[in-house]
Amino acid sequence: MAGPITWILLVLLVGAIITFLTRTLQQARIVALISSGIALLISILMYLGYESGAGMQFRESVMWIPSLGIGYNVGVDGLGLPMVILATLISFLCVIYAWGEEHRANQFFALVLLMDMALVGVFASLDFFLFYIFWELTLIPMFFLIGVWGGPRKDYSAIKFLIYTHVASLAMLLAIFAMYYFNGKMTGTYTFDMIYLLDAYSRGMVPISPYWINLIIGGMLFGFLVKMPAVPFHTWLPDAHVEAPTVGSILLAAVLLKMGGYGLFRVIIPLMANPDASTRFVLVIAVFGVVSILFSTFVALAQKDLKKLVAYSSIGHMGYVSLGVAGAVAFGTSDIPRILANTGAMYQMFSHGIITAVLFGSVGVIQHATGTRIIEDLGGLTKHMPKLAFIMLAGFLASLGLPGMSGFVAEFSILTGSFPQLPHFVLLAMFGIVFVAAYHLWAIQRALFGPYNEYLGDIHDIAIYELIPLAILVALIIVLGTPNPVCNHLYHGVMQPTATHILSILPEGGLL
Amino acid sequence: MSYGLLLPELIIAASALIVLLDVFVKNSRGRFAGYVSIIAILVSLILVLKDGLVDPTPYFNDTIVVDSVSQIFNMIFLVVALLVVIAGVAYTEDKFHPEVFYSLLLFATLGMMIVAISNDLIPLFVGFELASLATYPMAAFERERRGIEASIKYFVIGGLSSAILLFGLSYIYGVTGTTNIPQIAETLSANIMKPASLLGLIFVVAGFGFKMALVPFHMWAIDVYDGAPHLISALLSSASKKMAFIAGFKVLIVGLIALRFDWYIGIALLAVITMTVGNVVAAIQQSVKRMLAYSSVAHAGYIAIAFVVISKSLEHAEIALAGGILHIFSHALMNGGAFILASIVAAGVIARAKPGEEDNLENYAGLGKVAPVSALLMAILMLSLGGVPPLFGFFSKAVIFLSAIKADLLWLAIIGVLNSALSLYYYARVVMYMYWKDPVLERVNEPLLYVLPVAIATVGVLLLGLYPPTYRWAFEAAHTLLQMGGVP
Repeated sequence: MAGPITWILLVLLVGAIITFLTRTLQQARIVALISSGIALLISILMYLGYESGAGMQFRESVMWIPSLGIGYNVGVDGLGLPMVILATLISFLCVIYAWGEEHRANQFFALVLLMDMALVGVFASLDFFLFYIFWELTLIPMFFLIGVWGGPRKDYSAIKFLIYTHVASLAMLLAIFAMYYFNGKMTGTYTFDMIYLLDAYSRGMVPISPYWINLIIGGMLFGFLVKMPAVPFHTWLPDAHVEAPTVGSILLAAVLLKMGGYGLFRVIIPLMANPDASTRFVLVIAVFGVVSILFSTFVALAQKDLKKLVAYSSIGHMGYVSLGVAGAVAFGTSDIPRILANTGAMYQMFSHGIITAVLFGSVGVIQHATGTRIIEDLGGLTKHMPKLAFIMLAGFLASLGLPGMSGFVAEFSILTGSFPQLPHFVLLAMFGIVFVAAYHLWAIQRALFGPYNEYLGDIHDIAIYELIPLAILVALIIVLGTPNPVCNHLYHGVMQPTATHILSILPEGGLL
Repeated sequence: MSYGLLLPELIIAASALIVLLDVFVKNSRGRFAGYVSIIAILVSLILVLKDGLVDPTPYFNDTIVVDSVSQIFNMIFLVVALLVVIAGVAYTEDKFHPEVFYSLLLFATLGMMIVAISNDLIPLFVGFELASLATYPMAAFERERRGIEASIKYFVIGGLSSAILLFGLSYIYGVTGTTNIPQIAETLSANIMKPASLLGLIFVVAGFGFKMALVPFHMWAIDVYDGAPHLISALLSSASKKMAFIAGFKVLIVGLIALRFDWYIGIALLAVITMTVGNVVAAIQQSVKRMLAYSSVAHAGYIAIAFVVISKSLEHAEIALAGGILHIFSHALMNGGAFILASIVAAGVIARAKPGEEDNLENYAGLGKVAPVSALLMAILMLSLGGVPPLFGFFSKAVIFLSAIKADLLWLAIIGVLNSALSLYYYARVVMYMYWKDPVLERVNEPLLYVLPVAIATVGVLLLGLYPPTYRWAFEAAHTLLQMGGVP
């Protein structure tokens, strides 16, 4: 009997195929809505049935290619489950948001569902080969979403996105092969089982030279950092975002980037626990994190295009995830801040997913209504688009880390938790926070307030199908940012035990 | 003694003669020959699949052995022949003497099948020549300048490489005193007898290098694949070239395994140069047909990695060979399908082409709107060629790279992976043209007889990688092949 994860994958795959075969917009969007809705429902039921504590749950394991040790192995823990929910939630809301998409609607919705399936697969795979397959599968829908529904420079952006991230994935693939090979050579069992391999490497049970283990970590890290993306490997992201359709941008920023962060927790931390691994990787990750935060902040200040600004803000927020991971593994006298940093980084992944979806969603509405995203050409939108202004302001405030919203909880945990281990880095990152607030507020002030730019003409407010998903997300941002049972359960019941468990493989007190 | 296992070959041989009767069938215009060929190939294919992985069964004093290797290769050859023949029914309708096309095609298939089942240098060479001689005139089937030029080039180079190969084989025979392949292995492993055997080896590698179109022996292949009609190119690059690989597996791996340390560096260089040159030159092509030709050179380079791994470490030979066989299979499907689809674009059936630029990438613009089914199939084939999971092309390539890493050849795997990344660029470009550019034509009716074989290939590409028995077959065949060479 297939378990819930297999059902989600199947529902989405079948839904994608049926959607592709539909003839009209109406049929396409209804099939897409139903199948993404079922997927969301199953993932919420999984969340409700999730037993607080560490360990993989909802596991399914079938041998697939026994001669190579490849298995269909899936399961989620407190790290994977919120990501699965994020993927299904955002995809479901994207289907609603794109309700008015008329251009090749059947293909559009089919690609969204395919994307959803690939993302759930990435976050639920417990076999490296399967993980890689889903990881690469996410490229194809996004390639088409940018290429077919994208802006004027879509050709360049789509192919850049495809090749850039494909090369990074291939580095990861080689690292996976190397892990597979050395483990097989030393222990005699050739397997791609993720849990088994990571356990073997984290305990140093595979006696290989430090050169190799560092090369493996380096390959993996490259794959993940490009995906996150970390400065200086970020150049594909602004291009992809600027040209992608709004739904593509939402999926890209809200869920696709999380694959990189997920890899840090799932793969990099256990590998760094290997006694032969260089402890310098802690510094490397911390530097990438802080550089991403600072660089993206200053570049965002100079942006004229609202969407590009939001794209750079994503890079900055993912920088917090790197910083949190570095803070969690770095050496500290007490375990409490390290767990705090790790939980905060995991919380940041979920929180940034929903916040950035609001930002890209509202920028998309503005572009749709006014035909431009250039901040200077906007102004005074509150007068004509009060509902949008409300949603967008909420999103921007959440993004700059206003207390009472989910982003604050996450970033506060990361900074507080990392401070004892990496005080200098945290101070540098906090220096950036001022400017983060500055570019958010400045952009909002120029775009939404002030005198109305009459050249824009008579514009209409946000459509109802665009409003509903964004409103749901804003509500969720506030729910996850204020003390209440839902937020507590996610933070303390689901994420914290897993964060503790992930760190428990590291030597006492952390690395360095 | 039962000859049941040779039935597929006999059916193909008989039908190759029967189709010539097409001239006596009124108003047939090749359709009679086409249907007979389809039925003959289908029946043979079913027989091969029904018997599946058989235990080695020798015939005719051990000169011919039917085993899991020959079965899997016969399956590949028959599948490619089937794809080409189905499209051929539509293609030959208005051609001069269409039955010749089918007869030659069936003889070529027969030659390939004989190579697959031969266990002795003599039948191996006979099969090789049968397949080659049948394909030389096929390249000139349309009787126009480019095709004839391609055919003559192919003939000259083919004859030359056969001579080189035969010369090399004569040394091997002179040294070992036998033409039986396992006995050659046995004799050579007992006593290597350099340098005569080494000299033979060099000629054999060069001879097979020509047939496999490894760089620097590849120039003819580009001109021939480009000049010949598309369907013939499909047959040449998907089946005829694969025959060179099975022959190479047999002679180099089985027969010359004792000499493997001597060909390790040479083949490694050939593999690296082949995939790099193939991919780099393919990336700058504006003609899809030439792009496919160069890409098939590049894929030969990936497959050649299997030879390198085997010569480096016998321990990992099985997985390397299995990877090679899997990639031969997946590439046969992908490339065959892509060439067949390119033929209807070039023929102007689903695109409008300027004269002289029938294969230009521009002709694929907007194909997603003009011919949605064809475009979707082509897109899947292209992505599979580029090695995107979960398509068959990814799995087969991954197994090859995996074997390279297992054999401590990380550098080779890295070069392979970089090549693979580069190749995705030019494959994705075709997809971009099909879906993102504006179409020139209105929606057209897609010709079923062309789309059907492409669809068969695409379904194979979609499912075979995910289907575990595929791997069992490949590993079983690899195991058998190594056993023949006396590897424990």
